[in-house]
Amino acid sequence: MLISVYRTMKFALQNFWRNFWLSFITLTMLVLTLVTVNILLVLNFMADQAIQAVEDRVEVSVYFHALTPQTTVDNAVTSLRVLPQVRDVATISAQESLEKFERRHAQDEMMMQSLEEIGGNPFGPSLVVKAQTVSDFEVILQALENPQFREDIREKDFSDYQDIVTRIKTVTDRVRTFGIVLSGIFLLIVVLVVFNTVRMGLFIHREEIGIMKLVGASNNFIRAPFLLEMILLSLLAIGVTLAILFPMLAILEPTFAVYVGGNSSGLVAHFTQNGLQIFGSQFLALILLTMISTSMAMRKYLKV
Amino acid sequence: MITFKNVSKIYPPNVVGVEGVNLHIEPGEFVSIVGQSGTGKSTLAKLLFAEERPTRGKIEIGGWDITAIRERDVPMLRRQIGVVFQDFKLLQKKTVYENVAFALQVASVRPKRIREVVPLVLNIVNLHDKAMRYPNQLSGGEQQRVAIARSLVHQPKVLIADEPTGNLDTLNAREIMDLLAKINEFGTTVVLVTHDREMVNRLKRRVITLEDGKISSDVEVGRYRL
Repeated sequence: MLISVYRTMKFALQNFWRNFWLSFITLTMLVLTLVTVNILLVLNFMADQAIQAVEDRVEVSVYFHALTPQTTVDNAVTSLRVLPQVRDVATISAQESLEKFERRHAQDEMMMQSLEEIGGNPFGPSLVVKAQTVSDFEVILQALENPQFREDIREKDFSDYQDIVTRIKTVTDRVRTFGIVLSGIFLLIVVLVVFNTVRMGLFIHREEIGIMKLVGASNNFIRAPFLLEMILLSLLAIGVTLAILFPMLAILEPTFAVYVGGNSSGLVAHFTQNGLQIFGSQFLALILLTMISTSMAMRKYLKV
Repeated sequence: MITFKNVSKIYPPNVVGVEGVNLHIEPGEFVSIVGQSGTGKSTLAKLLFAEERPTRGKIEIGGWDITAIRERDVPMLRRQIGVVFQDFKLLQKKTVYENVAFALQVASVRPKRIREVVPLVLNIVNLHDKAMRYPNQLSGGEQQRVAIARSLVHQPKVLIADEPTGNLDTLNAREIMDLLAKINEFGTTVVLVTHDREMVNRLKRRVITLEDGKISSDVEVGRYRL
């Protein structure tokens, strides 16, 4: 058994080297396809992160009139917290608002004089409501129209990120569609190139195959090196793709981190932590594809 | 050992390879199948090692009915039948030793066994001192001896030689015929397909003559009479 595996491996490597340029072209096509698919995955991840970063900033500030009773504010908090669209509600008391104002304008004499002239605390309590997604804005704003506390609300302030998110989604959707089409084209080319590589391999080795058949080599022994060669090429393609992808991610990481507003965008970490799943499934898919193509070529050109 | 019962091979659309062939070859026999070009000699040989399937009739080798042999069983048959051709069919990039060993390698034989068997068969064909040479460094006769050595590594019960002397001069052809006779003496059944009159007459063994795909004569100690 081990001897057969060893000899099959040897014949597969011979196929690779004797057919070097054809193997190289096949490898290049496999790598191109994998890189395209991975660029798609990177894009997907970046789009998700960008949208998440925007959505993290989605909040509605609700300012109550001064002297609004605490029970009214508590009512508003309770009714907002039960909404599934609300991620968090932070309460800022009137006293906290005053202290915050004083801290912020401590160096501004004019402001501090104005505050003194007003006398007392002109601020009312306020709420900072964080939504789950941008599309949850509408529901939150509607909830604030509750008659129990509507009249006590002085002002509602929110930034409309919906437009930004929509634009990110539109651009990424377009790029994603383009990427999928491009991957599809590359996959088709891979099938054709693998088919042709095997066909050429069979042609180059026709004399050897003829003799193998003559001296009693089993059909599997004749076929196996071609299948194994494609597995080796797929494995090599994954290796080359990793060698291209990770430096690329490392370069992208800091730039993207600035964009999403953090120390790290988690790009490299995402591909490292999920590497086995991501590249393992790509390897299996590639093997499946090359096996189908190889089998088709052998069925057509190898009469054993 | 080998039995043909009313065997015909018709190639599409209606070309007769062999027709209604009945013959029986005993174990250890040396049989020459002769005839002019296109009379079906090679077709008969191809039917024996399952390169072709008969259109009609039944073929048995050692009690094994190979008439409708399955593709996956063909390798097993070929390990029991050695085949030698006019054009030697050697791998030019392999040495004599490697060419012979190749037949064992593809049959998953262990390296230790290969190291034992290959020198033995190279001794039989008297090429032990040229084991590391490449085919293009050998004469035609020597190349044919390599092919014979390769066909012997599985210790076949039957050796089919299809025009083995076709590319050789008289001296080399005689050497090959002597070698085939020697192999036959060891107990291997030899089926020689040839149109070499001198070689057949020298052998003084059984001769089956084909004409237009049919057996026209089958003589125990025969001569080439065409």
